[in-house]
Amino acid sequence: MQIEANQVEGAMSEGIEKLSAAVSLLERAIASLEQRDASMSGDVQRIVAAVEHGAEISQRELELERKLATAEQQIAELRVQATKPAAARKTLPASTTQLLAKGGITSLESIEAGALDAALTGLSLEQRIAVKAQLMRAGTLA
Amino acid sequence: MRLEALAVALPDVAGHPNRVPFEGVLTLVDEPSNRPPSGARGHRVILTRAAAVLALPSLLGMAVDYTPGWDGHDARRKCGIITEADVEGNRLQVSGYLFGKDFPEVEEQMRRSHAGAMGMSYEIANAHVADMNANVWSLTRATFTGAAILLREKAAYRETSFRLAAKRCRNAGLSAKGAPDRVWTERPRRPQGSNNGQLEKGKEARCR
Repeated sequence: MQIEANQVEGAMSEGIEKLSAAVSLLERAIASLEQRDASMSGDVQRIVAAVEHGAEISQRELELERKLATAEQQIAELRVQATKPAAARKTLPASTTQLLAKGGITSLESIEAGALDAALTGLSLEQRIAVKAQLMRAGTLA
Repeated sequence: MRLEALAVALPDVAGHPNRVPFEGVLTLVDEPSNRPPSGARGHRVILTRAAAVLALPSLLGMAVDYTPGWDGHDARRKCGIITEADVEGNRLQVSGYLFGKDFPEVEEQMRRSHAGAMGMSYEIANAHVADMNANVWSLTRATFTGAAILLREKAAYRETSFRLAAKRCRNAGLSAKGAPDRVWTERPRRPQGSNNGQLEKGKEARCR
């Protein structure tokens, strides 16, 4: 039993030694890599100032690049246009605006729920629902 | 304007059938290439002026070559030799001779192609890159091992050029252009024929 314990202990200590050697090697490798990265300079055996075959940009590719750029520009413009209706939706019917103004709400940018309810207290349930629906369509109510 | 020049003096031979003089702009210095050269792993490169000037001696005596498609280098098709090189402004200019009798197709191509169609491309070895991680590699040391004549659109530098020279008398031009701040000192010209193969620095009249 004692012998077996000694063997295990020996194996463990050997393993620890190996691991610590490996860690030491890794540390040296990392230091070396860091040093190499820091210098960053290097030598190249051969450079030829001609364009590599296959690396040239053909007229067709240039044309496709131009088309792609145009298409991307159009997509960007369409995206901008797509956001515009949301802003336009903030326009409410004049009657609704007047109703809200009477209740003290003049700006559509930020309407608090409490203030809105207070402003609509004089209206019937149907009218309140209609006004809120219009505000939701306009995007001022979530 | 700054001018630095080197030349190999060859003996004059009137009407030499195999010597067709040429001149061209091999590359630009201190300016990035328009496209990545072959061997630069996709990076565009800048040949620094200092590196180019240091490498000028290695350029003299190197061959110019070509491919049948005029689109690259073929070191086995050496159709001429560079005898003179100078860095003027940001242009590395070269001149020399084509072997016109051995390669009539090259001379024919030069005569047939329209002005500005042909360019040049250098071949360098042992190039030192200041920062391999940079987008544009800066070459701070190099050795010229040759050059190619090719279609300008196939060159990594669009501003290169190549043309047949009407007459070998570049030094008359150098004299006028380089006088203000030439770096090489002028030496008295040796008697005709006694400086064969000698390296000349600066301006010395060598008209054929």
